[in-house]
Amino acid sequence: MAALEIKNLTFCYPTREIPALKDVSLSIDSGEFVVICGKSGSGKSTLLRHMKTVLTPHGKRSGNIFLDGRPLESYDLGAQAEIIGFVLQDPDSQIVTDKVWHELAFGLESLGTPPDAMRLRVAEMASFFGIENWFYRDVVELSGGQKQLLNLAAAMTVQPDILILDEPTAQLDPIAGQEFIDILGKINRELGTTVILSEHRLDQVFAICHRAIVMDTGRIVADDTPHKVGALMREGRNDMFFAMPAPVQIYAKVKNTLPCPLTIREGRLWLSRLLEDRQPIDRQPPQQKKDNHQDAREQMTVISMKNVWFRYEKGAPDVIKDLSLDIKEGELFCILGGNGTGKTTALSLMSRINKPYRGKILLYGKQLMKYSASELFDGLLGMLPQNPQALFVKNSVRLDLSEMLNEKIPKKEKEERIAKVAALTEIEDLLDAHPYDLSGGEQQRAALAKLLLQNPKILLLDEPTKGLDSFYKIKLADILKRLAAEGVTVVLVSHDIEFCARHATRCGLLFDGHIIAKSPPAEFFTGNSFYTTAANRMARHIFPEAVTNEDVIKLCNILITREKG
Amino acid sequence: MQHTNNPGKGVRIRPIVTTLIVGIVIPITLFFGTAHMTERKYYIISLLVIIYAMLPFFIAFEKRRPKARELVIIAVLSALAIASRTAFFMVPQFKPMGAIVIISGVCLGAEGGFLVGAISAFISNMLFGQGPWTPWQMFGFGIMGLLAALLFKTGIFSAKRIPLSLFGSFLTYFVYGGIVNTGVLMMTNLPLSLSGLISVFTTSFMFDITHAAATGIFLFLIAEPMIEKLERIRTKYGLVE
Amino acid sequence: MRDTFSTLHPIIIFTYFIGVIAVSIITMHPILLILSLACSAVYSVYLNRLKTLKFFLFLLPVFLFITLINPLFNHTGNTILLYISGNPITLEALVYGLFSAVALLSVILWFSCYNVVMTTEKFIFLFERIIPSLSLIFSMILRLVPKYNQQIKIIGNAQKGIGRDPSRGSLSARIKNGLAILSILVTWSLENAISTSDSMRARGYGTGKRTSFARFRFDARDALILGAMLLLFATIIAGALGGLYTVNYFPVIKIDLVSPLSFLVYAAHTLLFLLPMLINIQEELKWRRLKSKI
Repeated sequence: MAALEIKNLTFCYPTREIPALKDVSLSIDSGEFVVICGKSGSGKSTLLRHMKTVLTPHGKRSGNIFLDGRPLESYDLGAQAEIIGFVLQDPDSQIVTDKVWHELAFGLESLGTPPDAMRLRVAEMASFFGIENWFYRDVVELSGGQKQLLNLAAAMTVQPDILILDEPTAQLDPIAGQEFIDILGKINRELGTTVILSEHRLDQVFAICHRAIVMDTGRIVADDTPHKVGALMREGRNDMFFAMPAPVQIYAKVKNTLPCPLTIREGRLWLSRLLEDRQPIDRQPPQQKKDNHQDAREQMTVISMKNVWFRYEKGAPDVIKDLSLDIKEGELFCILGGNGTGKTTALSLMSRINKPYRGKILLYGKQLMKYSASELFDGLLGMLPQNPQALFVKNSVRLDLSEMLNEKIPKKEKEERIAKVAALTEIEDLLDAHPYDLSGGEQQRAALAKLLLQNPKILLLDEPTKGLDSFYKIKLADILKRLAAEGVTVVLVSHDIEFCARHATRCGLLFDGHIIAKSPPAEFFTGNSFYTTAANRMARHIFPEAVTNEDVIKLCNILITREKG
Repeated sequence: MQHTNNPGKGVRIRPIVTTLIVGIVIPITLFFGTAHMTERKYYIISLLVIIYAMLPFFIAFEKRRPKARELVIIAVLSALAIASRTAFFMVPQFKPMGAIVIISGVCLGAEGGFLVGAISAFISNMLFGQGPWTPWQMFGFGIMGLLAALLFKTGIFSAKRIPLSLFGSFLTYFVYGGIVNTGVLMMTNLPLSLSGLISVFTTSFMFDITHAAATGIFLFLIAEPMIEKLERIRTKYGLVE
Repeated sequence: MRDTFSTLHPIIIFTYFIGVIAVSIITMHPILLILSLACSAVYSVYLNRLKTLKFFLFLLPVFLFITLINPLFNHTGNTILLYISGNPITLEALVYGLFSAVALLSVILWFSCYNVVMTTEKFIFLFERIIPSLSLIFSMILRLVPKYNQQIKIIGNAQKGIGRDPSRGSLSARIKNGLAILSILVTWSLENAISTSDSMRARGYGTGKRTSFARFRFDARDALILGAMLLLFATIIAGALGGLYTVNYFPVIKIDLVSPLSFLVYAAHTLLFLLPMLINIQEELKWRRLKSKI
């Protein structure tokens, strides 16, 4: 019998007319690992929240949900809390108490578990998740990845049969995200827990899940093994295309009859088989990017950092060491680097949030410190923080935007300027919404619009792709490119290798406080073996210069058609 | 601003019980206390009175088995009251704690207002160091939240900027100041008299008046938007009831 | 140096401090107050080192103030020292002021020890069983305050990044920027509160009677020390009921300093006040012995 069965579920939020879920039917077996994917707003969260009564949103609903053959509502809330564990997206706000041990015990305390049994369960989970070393710590000292791991462990202490996770890795950096998914696989394999997960980053999940369900505008449009769902991508269902793992995307755009690869390893084998008897291609790096780079060289230097050193306190270690960097006008410069390498700090130096204790920073040839506050922020420089919510002051996007403009500006001009940035950032329809009612990607564009009202010539962005699905990332890239075309210089720091590889004019790797390599993506990534794009890792043995999926697809197709022709 | 507090009995009875305790039980204790103790009797009795006055709120709250969202909202408002001190680190002695307590009273009602006040004073001392002043501060902020709620409900003042901020300054200077300064009188063993109290008020005039002004100014500036924000949460998620 | 007293069960620590603070509040007996002040000072210096010494410098004016303000307001007492604007200043009131200051100072010092030894974790552990909902609120606040402080920094930096620096500019500009930070923090915290409450409910909060995780356990050593402590308390209460706590400062100072019972009670007080230090010394000796055996 299915562990969880949903029959003809339709659901509509009170204030909306279009249902969020339309006639969803779904059956999940005990012990399965199921991933639900779909772009933001496709109804993933709403569906997951229906699987636990206390989290079910209010609204009009029809259809039934069964747990082990009994209607879900017939279980009392205590029983549900014991059978179904739930982990939410934000690692921070779902932590209730101040101590790690207390958080682990919270579920058991709520269910009235006797103290002896509780100690045992908590000890067990702490060692399963490797939490012993930080068991007595304050929650506030943990990293984002540790916090989410704690949330997972806390959900597991009650030994649930089913574990539901709503985009748990969206706020984590890639490495923490990978570790998290790994441990989910371990839970599924070693404890037999049924795992239902919604995710944007599918690269890793696709390799370990048993089933993938694709949702679009409240409906289930695909429900099959990941291989088959990957193969489906060829048949024109393009909304989810860019969310798929790189091998699937490449596979879908290259004519072949082989089975669909999911992982890098499978992708390499697939490529080898596909191109078995073809002649190797002449090894020319992609042309177009090179040109861009040469353009940049002739242009004016906008940001120039010379031997910059910085630390937060006198006695603290240096975060930025001897950093030198020149960025030209109209560039889209990406600073990559792991956690704690000082990426955000580097940006904070450029935006004068922090000041270096040695070295020079010049903007348009003038010392950064010599600009007055209004010269600097009124039309020269703007910085988008990692969390755009740190910028929203008012109750609606429109009010928030007009708050940014000087009070003396006449109303009509204000409206015009707001309309202009709203069009540029594609938030015209969202102007009257409350900023917190927007999705992550929309919030980010609203915050960007706020910055753009000042017409900055330099735009600094801190992790702008964090938590965004592939659809929003493309939108963001389009906006940034439009700005760059207008002569705005964009500097962003990111973990997102794929995004930088695809859209940057140049990339730099920040390591040990300074930037080690600075070059256009094609050059930048080809040499690296680990720190590079999935497409490059997959195709390196055949096309060492191919960095993006498109590069690989293009080269594959050239080889195939040339051979035919 | 509209209050959806249902006119159920539970809501109205609690203030009555509280009034009874404040009005009858405490004076009786006072009477017997003075008759049977010597030396530091006033200090001990006043401490007992404060504890008596606070206990019913805590007990009623526990007995009610509050829902998750009630705990969360009290915790969030108290934490805001404490943490907001950091936001104004650059303007010394100018803290929004009193303002947030009064806003909590206006939005959450008598019980919520009292709890946010007393709890934020308690935890603030837990973080910065407990001392003999803790019970007085707890009681002072608690009563401030309570009075804000009761007087708001009776319509003596409205949630408009100016009346709210005037009222807030008044509460801070006389009610909170009165309670805490009585505590100072007790702790220093000065004779319990009007002239003693006046002397303490005089000594701490600058301190108290800054505090009162801060409450007034913050209420003037943040009360309306903050009440709006709490309203939004209430309507959207039913978090505040 | 390690404080062994801190490793005892929270119930002992809490009772101990309630006891010594209550004694220091209730009595005005000069010998007991001096004992209390001396012992609390020793323990506070042991725990806080230099911090206490700095604290003394801050407390000294408070001490003098209380000593001197009492005779200014309290004119009872037979031994008149001098007149200030027609009001008599009496020796009795001055001595009374002095010991009021000693009492307050010792209470403050005991609290300074309490703040180190009775951590928030221990307090919450102790009260979780009696007031579960409030204790949970305490724990949530202790989680939220540092989180909000972090968030204030993040918001402050974000505001600096668009040219609104809360630490610079005119006072009104600073207040305006500070208010913007507060306003953003309020929205953010309220919106995040929803997922906290979701997370609590998802983990079964409110479905039945709560139990609590036994973070600390009560062992034989705890029982022994608790027993000794209660014995000391009993002696002290007996002494108090026997009239030892009754002292008269007015109209003339009359205190029974020596009586058959009083030495027993003084001894009980000394032992009680020194209990943490005695435990620490005993532990130290034990380790030395262990080391020398090797």
